[in-house]
Amino acid sequence: MRYDTLIDRLTEDLRPVRHRRFWVDMVIMALISAVELGLLFAVGIAHLSMHRMATQPTLWWRLASLGLISLVSGALAIRSFDPAYSPRGALRWLALIVAICVAFGLLMGGAPGGLAGIARRLDWTSGVQCAYKIVLLSVPPLIGLALLGRRGAPTDLRRTPLLIGLAAAAWGAFAFVFACPFNDPLYIIVWYGAGCALVMALARFILPRFARW
Amino acid sequence: MADEHWRSLMMAAQAGETSAYRRLLVEVGSWLNAYYSRRLPPGMADDAAQEALLTLHAKRHTYDPSKPFGPWLAAIARYKWIDRLRAMKGAAMEELSDALAVRDCAEAAQSARSLEALLSRLKPAQANAIRLVKLEGLSIREAADKLGQTVSLVKVNIHRGLKQLSELAQEEGHEI
Repeated sequence: MRYDTLIDRLTEDLRPVRHRRFWVDMVIMALISAVELGLLFAVGIAHLSMHRMATQPTLWWRLASLGLISLVSGALAIRSFDPAYSPRGALRWLALIVAICVAFGLLMGGAPGGLAGIARRLDWTSGVQCAYKIVLLSVPPLIGLALLGRRGAPTDLRRTPLLIGLAAAAWGAFAFVFACPFNDPLYIIVWYGAGCALVMALARFILPRFARW
Repeated sequence: MADEHWRSLMMAAQAGETSAYRRLLVEVGSWLNAYYSRRLPPGMADDAAQEALLTLHAKRHTYDPSKPFGPWLAAIARYKWIDRLRAMKGAAMEELSDALAVRDCAEAAQSARSLEALLSRLKPAQANAIRLVKLEGLSIREAADKLGQTVSLVKVNIHRGLKQLSELAQEEGHEI
């Protein structure tokens, strides 16, 4: 196509646009997350022993860590939909936050107590179920962020999907805290970590195809 | 880059003002042409510039007027450049047509310098295979004879070389 023809065509096609706003995207994601959490409570999935667990600091560690990771990574993912923003440096800080949260959990969890003790604490049959449910609960925020990303223009198609995956996975895990009867930090770190890692891997390999523009 | 001038044109374009938009497209188009002429073979620069203009049009809502225009435009141009390099990698086994032969002019020399800088960071066997087949237009068989390699090794070297070239360009792009 000739240059002048292209410019004519684009000019003819011009319509006023509303530019992307960070806070609008954040509010959309907060709404999606709130609706998901509300539905979980509405259908009675929240665990009956929640009031008993509320007295244990590990419950608050779970909620605070996952809420923080989800909020920070979600905000960074949305920022990375701006073509001029590179999430490279921010990911390092996020890794540090995750490491601090895990370290807190390990400190609270006490000594593992030998191989037999670890195996008993990990309870792999329940653990796999937990990881699976976290993956399912991550789907709504994952789709929401992916659609917002498609409307934006992310230029780093390696790191942005990782951020989307982490934000969605951390939110899925946060929501699952209200339905999970386990409160052992070692169990949480291993199985919640496995669920989150799976969501991140899926996002990393699937989203770049979807997000290309 | 006349950042403030383009920023005001883009703001007007986002509001639907066609004359400002036309002016912006013409000026940005020239800048994009120069940008790609330094980074791509001459036959590809024009196509890449047009594609970047189409992208600018489709993604104009992602520009935030409170920020400078230059980095936004440069990010889009760089993204499309990397896309082009990926496409070159996908077409690794195709013969070069005569239309892609390097012309003897200043623009071509500039492009060749940029490509040469990237090629110098590859393994010599990969760089030589890409030079002979992709730049000089030799067939795979001719290149294999000239390099003293088997045909399949030349193909592997071109494939791996273009892949690495794309990665190098991407890395470089994000450090700019």
